[in-house]
Amino acid sequence: MNKESQEYIRRFGVGRIAEHHVNAIVFALLVITGLSQRFHEYGPSQWLILTLGGIDVVRLIHRISGLTFTLLMAVHIVSASAGVILKKWPASMIIAVKDFHDAIDNMKYYFGIAKHPARCDRYDYKQKFEYWGVIAGGAIMAMTGLILWYPTTAVRLLPGEFIPAAKALHSNEGLLAFLVIITWHIYNAVFSPEVFPLDTAIFTGKISRERMVHEHPVELARLEGKSLDEIVGNGHGKPAPQTRPSTPG
Amino acid sequence: MWEGKALRFLLVAILWLCVLGPVRAIAAQQALSDDAAACLSCHGEHGIAFTFENKKTMEAHVDAAAFRTSAHAALGCSGCHPEFTKDDHPQRSFRSHEQYSTKAALVCRQCHGDDQLQKSPVHAALLKQEGTAPVCTGCHNPHATTAVTGGNRTASERQYCQGCHTQDLKMKMRNGDVVSLRVDHAKLDASVHSRHSCSECHFGFSADEHPKRAFRSARDFSIAHAESCRRCHFDKYTKTLESIHYTMLNQGNLKAPVCTDCHGSHGVAQARLDRLTSARRCQHCHEEIYATYVKSVHGNALVNEHNADVPICVDCHTAHTIEDARTADYREKVPSICGRCHANESLMQKYGLYPGVVNSYLQDFHGVTLKFYRLEKERRGEAPQQAIATCVDCHGVHDITKTSGPYTNLVKDRLVKQCEQCHPGATKNFPDAWLSHYKPSLKHAPLVFLVNLAYRIFIPFMLIGLLLQILLHVWRYAVNK
Repeated sequence: MNKESQEYIRRFGVGRIAEHHVNAIVFALLVITGLSQRFHEYGPSQWLILTLGGIDVVRLIHRISGLTFTLLMAVHIVSASAGVILKKWPASMIIAVKDFHDAIDNMKYYFGIAKHPARCDRYDYKQKFEYWGVIAGGAIMAMTGLILWYPTTAVRLLPGEFIPAAKALHSNEGLLAFLVIITWHIYNAVFSPEVFPLDTAIFTGKISRERMVHEHPVELARLEGKSLDEIVGNGHGKPAPQTRPSTPG
Repeated sequence: MWEGKALRFLLVAILWLCVLGPVRAIAAQQALSDDAAACLSCHGEHGIAFTFENKKTMEAHVDAAAFRTSAHAALGCSGCHPEFTKDDHPQRSFRSHEQYSTKAALVCRQCHGDDQLQKSPVHAALLKQEGTAPVCTGCHNPHATTAVTGGNRTASERQYCQGCHTQDLKMKMRNGDVVSLRVDHAKLDASVHSRHSCSECHFGFSADEHPKRAFRSARDFSIAHAESCRRCHFDKYTKTLESIHYTMLNQGNLKAPVCTDCHGSHGVAQARLDRLTSARRCQHCHEEIYATYVKSVHGNALVNEHNADVPICVDCHTAHTIEDARTADYREKVPSICGRCHANESLMQKYGLYPGVVNSYLQDFHGVTLKFYRLEKERRGEAPQQAIATCVDCHGVHDITKTSGPYTNLVKDRLVKQCEQCHPGATKNFPDAWLSHYKPSLKHAPLVFLVNLAYRIFIPFMLIGLLLQILLHVWRYAVNK
């Protein structure tokens, strides 16, 4: 396949792109200022905290970032719910039975049992896993974070033990979120052979038609008003390549 | 030739003798004090007689020339006749010459004690006779005794000083304070300084020198004398320069203690010997705090059980570098001070206490904040001024009690108020946010325990799953290629 034949499809609007930018920055800030507090006994953490201006400054940055993240998430949830309810947006992020089948199909494909990977819609099961992970984790983080920020107010409604429990939850969930992002998300967006050196879709808002064929054939079929078989090439007697032959140009 | 040399030698020798003879004679004669000179202006002459009650008389004459060269010249007259001075000449009466001699000779024994007399066989034999022995002055003319110790007038410098300072000498300060100059020699002998001579501490004083000094008050006198200590104990002295006591003294508070106030002067003892005594020294000024301390779990064990494990004042405040305990700097040190004992496993085991208490504090919000404030101070020279709760804010300072049994509620009641200082609006259940040093378990803080347990399982489970998926993906890609 040569470069001229690369056809691009708009995947994300400015809103989603901006949302990702803000989220990425805020998440990085939260991880830096949060993990250095969790692992406060280690030299690099101490260096970082002192370099940023001390523990009070680090806590302030963490809280402002946390607040920004919470607001971003709240706006997202409200607007997404409204969009879905008012039928302006398709409910493409809703987890369906198909996602579980897709996951099993993909496993079969990895082990060589199936001939082709799962045929996914706009968001595949991996992306939905990450999305809902961020939403659920974010809700936990925001809630426990607020409890830790205002402990005296929190104990008016909750038993005292909820404060250290909130701290344990916040700290562990934060660590989990960081580990998932650093392994799963960074692999899928950077190191995966299919996108290496970088999946630019969320930055440019565009994705190549070729990648759509492999990764989101169901959506592509709907967009182009074709059948799934037409998209993946089965209808033309010639099987479509199962993986990308080379990195995108 | 030979005669010429001998003659020259003889001439030089005679010349030297002419010069040195008078010098030696002058040197041997002690310069007498004004007091003694005044006494001798009458008693140096013949003709003064004292009449006893039995009508016998005694000439009260002292051969001034003989006295000047005697071993006792340095003592002056009042050294042996303490009731008589230049200004004071009391009238006294005695039954007989014998009675007077017996009484007067007692003063000899103030310097010439049994120890010294036992060394001479003649005196040793006389000592055994007690009442029937002749008095000292029966054999020795006290005004013309010659030195027997190879030219030294007294056997030791201390003996010389003792000559006067075992008596009830007093010194009047400019403000009217009177200070006793009497030294309790039994105390001195029992002290750690028993082998030192007087002038080692009383610099400038010796058998030859006795400068006149004037002080404004008895306190000034003590403060000035404490300066001597640093000549040997310089390390301790430099430590005290940083102490709050020295700062107060420098600011003009003369009540602030100097070395001798805690260690004593002539009875100086090893300070670490007795912990209760050590604590009581502080009580002298810090009476209220001591009273509180004695009621605390530590003080009670010290006073009533003579427990040597419990901290006394100096264990927390140090002995010499005593800092102002109200500063942020001192507050920052509190966990490490308590940790010296409460993080010591073997010591805590002895009392059935949990040695992890300090660490559990240091790992929590307050401990971490305190640590970073310290690091910030080390790095930038200043740290936030916000006070952070440490051990003492929950447990008390001098009034530390047990936290178990009937004391539990006492400590808890105090907590809310303490929390409120930084967390306005803290409710009664707010202190429960602190796990009281307990490690979370199903019994204590089950919620925290379960959250931690869940994530300890969930995080590796999730991560291994994701990593396996990534590996499978890479593998499939490699196979297809």
